[in-house]
Parts: sequence; C-alpha cells; structure tokens
Amino acid sequence: MTAPARIRIHARQVAVPGLELLAPGGIAWGECSELRIPLTPTPLKAQPSAYVQAAWAVKPYGTLTAVNVSAAIADYALFVRLRWSCSSPVRAITDNDVFADACAVMFPADGADGQAPLMGEPGRPVELWQWRAGTDAPFVLTATGPGTSTRLGHHAVAVASEWSGDRWTVVFRRAIDAPGVTLGPGHVVPAGFAVWQGSNSERAGLAAHTPDWISLDIAR
Amino acid sequence: MGTLTSRPKRQLAMVFDLNKCLGCQSCTIACKTLWTEGPGMESMWWNIVNTMPGRGTPRDVFTHGGGYADGQPVPGNFPPLREYGEAWGFDQEATFFSGDVERVPLHPKEHDGASPSWGPNWDEDMGGGVYPNSYFFYLQQVCANCSKPACLEACPREALYRREEDGIILIDEERCHGYRFCAEACPYKRIYFNPTRAIAQKCISCYPRLEAGVAPACVRQCPGRVRHIDYMDNLEGHPHKLVNEWKVALPLRPDFGTEPNVFYVPPLAPPAFNEAGEFDETQPRIPTEYLSEMFGPGVERALETIQVEREKVARGEYSELMDILISRDWNDLMGPFTQNPAQLDRAPGRA
Repeated sequence: MTAPARIRIHARQVAVPGLELLAPGGIAWGECSELRIPLTPTPLKAQPSAYVQAAWAVKPYGTLTAVNVSAAIADYALFVRLRWSCSSPVRAITDNDVFADACAVMFPADGADGQAPLMGEPGRPVELWQWRAGTDAPFVLTATGPGTSTRLGHHAVAVASEWSGDRWTVVFRRAIDAPGVTLGPGHVVPAGFAVWQGSNSERAGLAAHTPDWISLDIAR
Repeated sequence: MGTLTSRPKRQLAMVFDLNKCLGCQSCTIACKTLWTEGPGMESMWWNIVNTMPGRGTPRDVFTHGGGYADGQPVPGNFPPLREYGEAWGFDQEATFFSGDVERVPLHPKEHDGASPSWGPNWDEDMGGGVYPNSYFFYLQQVCANCSKPACLEACPREALYRREEDGIILIDEERCHGYRFCAEACPYKRIYFNPTRAIAQKCISCYPRLEAGVAPACVRQCPGRVRHIDYMDNLEGHPHKLVNEWKVALPLRPDFGTEPNVFYVPPLAPPAFNEAGEFDETQPRIPTEYLSEMFGPGVERALETIQVEREKVARGEYSELMDILISRDWNDLMGPFTQNPAQLDRAPGRA
C-alpha cells in the first residue's frame, strides 16, 4: 500500500516587484494558484502540560477546517500567503483574557523529509515563521519538540496582514538566500501550516494545523 | 511543564499575622515602587491587601478555578483587567482648570472613560456580620511560592522555574510567550499579564534583596510587624515555630491543593454580643465556618492556642508564642535577612 500523494504547492516565478506580493490583497497574487489545505486540531495528548490537557479536554479547539495557501518567487525572495475564514477577528491582545489571531508556516530546519510534522525532535529542529495579529514583525522560532520553541532575535522574515470580508490574509516574505531553512530555486521543501483562532482563546499548542507535511515546490 | 521531580534544598516561608495588620498598604506601596513601575505594569500589585470577608482582587478572587482537586489540575480562568482594577486615569485638567472644581470632581476613569466598578481592596472595611457583631480583617497576599505550584506545572514552555536554593518561583521572561496558562492555574490569582511586553509577571519575593541579606520590601516596610520570614528548615526560625511547633500559622485556602509557603495567623476576635448586648463567650464573632474555609480545619485549635497564650501573658507568665508574635526586636521578624539596605555598598540590583 503506497502512501497518499503529498499535497504540493508550487511557488512559481512571478514577474512583479516583490512589494506587490507583500500586499496581502495585491493583484499579483491572481497569477498564483491557491490550494485549499485541510487542517485538523493539534493532538491534545501532545500538549506538554497536564493543566492544558485538563482545561481543554472538553473544549473544542482547532476547529478551522482549512487554510488557503499560495506561494510565489519574486525579487529573489519567497512569498507565502495564507488566507482563512474568520468572522470574529481578534486583532491584538487587549486584555488578560484576550488572545490574538495568529498563523505560522513551519519547515524542517534542514529542509529534509523524515520527521513527524509536529514541533521538531531532539537533534532535528523545525523552523517556524509566526504572525500574530497586532504585531508589526513576525516571530521566527526554532523548536526541537513541543514546548521548546525559541524566538530568534534576528531574522530576515517580513510579514503583512489584512482582515477584510470575514477573512484574514497574511503574507510572509523571506529572501531566498537569507539565513534559515534552504529555500533555493529547484528545492522541494516540506512545509506545515497552523492557524490560531483568538476568539476561541487558542494559543501555544492549541491550534488547527496540517497533520502531514505539504511539499513546497520552489520554481527554478 | 510536566511534573516537579524534586523539592528545593531549602524552602523560604513567610507568616503573616492577621491580628496585627493595620491595612495601611505600606507593603503594597513598597512593592509597587520597587518592582512594578515599568511599562505595562501600571495595574500590577504583586503585593495586595484586601478586606475580608470580601470579594478580593480580582473580584471574587477565590472563585476562578485553578489549583488541584484530588491531585488533578482544575481548569481556571484569568479575569479581565477590569476585574483587578485598571490603572485609572484622572482628568485633572477638567477638575483644576475648568473653573468649576465643585461640579467637576476628580474622579477615576478606566481607559475607555468608564467609571471603575472594581479595584484593589474595593470593598475596604465593609467586612461581614451584622452590627453589633460586624467584623473584618485584612488579608495580605503575595506569591506563596507553592510547593505544588499549579502555575509552574501549567506552563507548556517551562517558562516558570523553582530556585533550588530557596524554593522561590520565578518566570523566565525570555521563555515566556504570554500564553497565560499560569495565570489561569494559580488559584490565588497572583500572576499578572503585562500587555505591553505580552508576558506574565509576578511577585519575585524580592530575591535580589534576599541575596544581599535584605528582607523583602513588604516585610521590612511593614509598620505593624505583621510579616515573619525565614527558611522553613531553620528550627529556631519563626515560620517553623509558628507553623510546625505552635501550629498557629495556617495556609490560605488549603483546599486549592497547591501547598503554599505563606501562612497566616488567623484573626482572633472578641466573642459575639447576645441580644442583651453582653458578650456570649460561646459564640465567636467571626464564624468558625468562614475561618475554616479560609484557613482549613486547624483554625479552631490555632485560635484556642493563641487565646490560651494571651491569657498566660495577661497573668504575667511567659509565653514563647506571644514573644514570637510580638517580636519586640524588629530584626527577629526577618530571620537571616536583617541587612539594612541603606548600609550596603550598593543597593541590591533590580531583576
């Protein structure tokens, strides 16, 4: 029995200035195909805290069923765009009990296949680009397992976001040759995606995510 | 995250004598001016004193879950800032420069202009009971550095940790990502959220002072000599004497299951008046059920012990317990932390 074919996202070369792609609603994205990628709740048993497991045992989370993803190459940078339905946006952390909407793209740090699509393993880190509503810059993190993520102080990832029409649109940008996971033309890199719905107090490991790696096929 | 595999080598402990607190908030201000003046900390009160019986801070403080039941974590919530009390603003321009000071009183406003409906010690001195049997006492709270800290065990990132040398629980602000499970899990609601930095913050037991031999600010600044501090393993220290030997210092809400290391000498009130206006020695002014709920089943025995020892002193006899509680020498309250901060080569650094 063969494994099901992995979903494949093609990041094609787009002959537009990169700034146009960094605009979430930019018309340049019309030239790129968009894939609807199914999401499932992250496993409760993987939450590294008995409190979190107890508090969320009967409370649904990660209920967003899909995120639309497209990718492109322009100005020698990779752009990844995520779009998802959100009728109750939480645009910033404004109170003790308010959690902002967020999303992330994750790669095996070595760009190679072979590890579970979770938060990395000892000796096999993952790299995450995370956007959180209300913040100007994304977080770039590495992790070698649940609860181990560490934010990098310096990184080359930029982000832009927009909420309109009951939908978030978030674009990440990273120069192809910037430090981090290898994203060179012609590479096929495993990628994962996650979305946190702030209106449901989702944070940390409580999210909707891709339970399997997606192949990000970067055009030559 | 996960479980605590070992206890610290030593455990710092404090005892607060509820019979001596004046409700003056010197401790509160000492803490505030020392630790919580930074951005995003405006509404934090790592030390807080509330009138009891009362709803506390945040409002209905002991009803928000957290802690443990039968050894299992109890889900909790983290009340919104308004339930703690915002750092209110005051329109001084309107009051003092409108030309109509009598009609424009200085009045606190929340960030959206609303009048506050709750804040620290909001129900000050209201207390309980019905005249002439009304009563109240002040309850001081700091982080209790619990031996079974629900906050620490709730964090999925191990951003909280316990110091091996004294059991103080701290938050690593570099590791904290502001998830706030710790604040939900603390049944005493002693963890705050800094919205500017998106991290959790809490009482640090003045550990930089302790490391310089100086007692915490709340202890040293207390004019009522309410607070005793020492390592619990010091058999001559006040916490050990009051908690383990005399058994007059009790944990707050032990039913929460976190084994706090701050203990309270329960309030001893006069008997209740009967309908003839005379003392009824059989009826306590403060209902025993209430005190038992607050301080556990040992409260009746503790109060009896204090009463017996007081009467001994009244007869001119010696009482070790009364000597400890009175602490005629101020330094006796502070265990090994008697260093005068003004006489240090330099002031202890801030965290």
